[in-house]
Amino acid sequence: MLLLKLAFRNIFRQRRRSLLTAISMAGGYILCTFSFSLSEGSYNNAISFFTLDHTGHVQIHKEDYLQRPKIHKTIDDPEQLSEILDSREDIAAHTLRVFAPGIAYSDTDNSPAQIIGVDLERERTTSTLEQKVSSGSYIGSDLDSDGYYSAMIGAGLANSLNIGLGDELILISQGADGSVANDIYIVNGIIGNRDSPDRNTVFLPLVAAQEFLSMYGRVHEVSILLNDEGDSRSEASLLQEELQDLSVAPWQVVESTFYQSMQTDKQGNNFSMGVIVFLVFVGVLNTVLMSVLERTREFGVLKAIGSRPTKIALMITLETGLLASLSVLMGLLISLPLIGWFTAVGFELAQPMDVGGIVMSHMTGEMSFYVFAIPLALIVLFALLISIPTGIRAARISPTEAMRST
Amino acid sequence: MTAVISTNEVCRYFGDEEETMVKAVDRVSIEIERGEFTAIVGPSGSGKTTLLHLIGGLDNPTSGSVELSGTNIAEMSGAILSDFRRDHIGFIFQSYNLIPVFSAEENIEYIMLLQGVEASERKRRVAEMLEQVGLEGLGSRRPNKLSGGQQQRVAIARAMVSHPEIILADEPTANLDSKTGIALLDLMKELNEKHNMTFVFSTHDDKIMTRAGRLIHMMDGEIESDEVK
Repeated sequence: MLLLKLAFRNIFRQRRRSLLTAISMAGGYILCTFSFSLSEGSYNNAISFFTLDHTGHVQIHKEDYLQRPKIHKTIDDPEQLSEILDSREDIAAHTLRVFAPGIAYSDTDNSPAQIIGVDLERERTTSTLEQKVSSGSYIGSDLDSDGYYSAMIGAGLANSLNIGLGDELILISQGADGSVANDIYIVNGIIGNRDSPDRNTVFLPLVAAQEFLSMYGRVHEVSILLNDEGDSRSEASLLQEELQDLSVAPWQVVESTFYQSMQTDKQGNNFSMGVIVFLVFVGVLNTVLMSVLERTREFGVLKAIGSRPTKIALMITLETGLLASLSVLMGLLISLPLIGWFTAVGFELAQPMDVGGIVMSHMTGEMSFYVFAIPLALIVLFALLISIPTGIRAARISPTEAMRST
Repeated sequence: MTAVISTNEVCRYFGDEEETMVKAVDRVSIEIERGEFTAIVGPSGSGKTTLLHLIGGLDNPTSGSVELSGTNIAEMSGAILSDFRRDHIGFIFQSYNLIPVFSAEENIEYIMLLQGVEASERKRRVAEMLEQVGLEGLGSRRPNKLSGGQQQRVAIARAMVSHPEIILADEPTANLDSKTGIALLDLMKELNEKHNMTFVFSTHDDKIMTRAGRLIHMMDGEIESDEVK
């Protein structure tokens, strides 16, 4: 206790120097937490965007459909698979999809298009497709009175084909059986705008797409939304064990380009954090060294009257640890409300920023235990590491030489 | 009587080269018995402080041995030597050398904390020592709020509170005025007689020489004379 008291009082011996060091450590902590919160917030937003937009947290395909998509690589019994997925508590929702490239025609124009057949009811709870309808309505699965299915098309395609709501859309593609697929649909919904990723996509009811592509009852993809995004990898592994003849992949594999680019960006952020922490350490090292050099005589006396060398080293470590803890506490008191605001409100960027391939114009932070704990642990740990060689130096001081010094 | 301090041909040389080597202490053999009030005297540079440091285990001899109560401390190092100093030797320095951020009480208490003495016992002994050195009521003051004489009294209390066998005092009155110096010497003499502690001073202060029971004169690192009064 007396040793702790001694360490505490020594911190306040050189008030100005200790205060400056504390400010540098607190400032470093605030910068680190802010940078960490910004990076985590941006990536979480981007992950949410990806997963809720269409990817989901886990996807199931036949064989290597993900790497080499072919129309005949289908999941043959999606209804049975749906029953399995519905029975799992950690799965919030799932949807079934088919994909095919095709050519879309209007009376006057044509354009290449990505045709996606979706289970319209399941899609509502799995992706944000319904929210992306910019005009018209979210379609139903039934034929209209003239015997046509409805379609929703991307705004870019609508513009290329010069068609709008209520107009006819002709699609041509290749069926799974090798036949030429062609049919007429009525446009009842426009998706997004001309810059949206879905701008050249045609969304059809699943049953319509299956008929069109001669894929009766079969699908290409099952997209799954979990209750917790953090379980993606483990859930994918569990499902893979159960579904031996299918290929199960978490979003990190499905969106591997985005994921790798996110990891690279994170490494860059970690490097920046490392630079901040390094600059803080230089300040701390200077303070600790100065403090030891100034008190050489005192350490000599402490040793002379019977303090063990380890006790001297412990005292230096205690002093540094106390100073670092107080500084980080000061930083925490400032960064808590700051990051709270940043997470709840955020701010608009003057220029949109690319986050792993996703363009974002509004930034919000992440408020979690790790955002505060990791910079805290880093600063306190490295401050303690710095104190070890300095403490050893103080512990090795010869009492006679120390007491000769002024 | 048994010698509590015994040096046998102890040498402390500084420097490696023969021509520039300084023989601070050269083949000194002395024996000091329990309860003696001994002064090592001599001019500056005669080697008295170095000898005191060798006796206290603060410095290692180049050759020879230093035995305290039969233990050769020249063979000790690190934590063992620290513990030996803590339990057997009390130091009083010329410039007091109190811990500036501790109060007088805490300075006295510190050594007992190192010894693992219980808090209540520490408190009792601190109060007792403060009374013995005449500093009742000043225990909460830090060194910078005490006069030189008062600081040296705290240093005496710190040296004695753990009941060591030997008190080594390096020029304890050098920074004090004559009146304060005499008062402190009388105090140390009284404590020496009361507790039968062995006091060894390095000094060139006449006041100490007058009160010392034994005078060891040093010159150029060697003992010139050893006079028991």
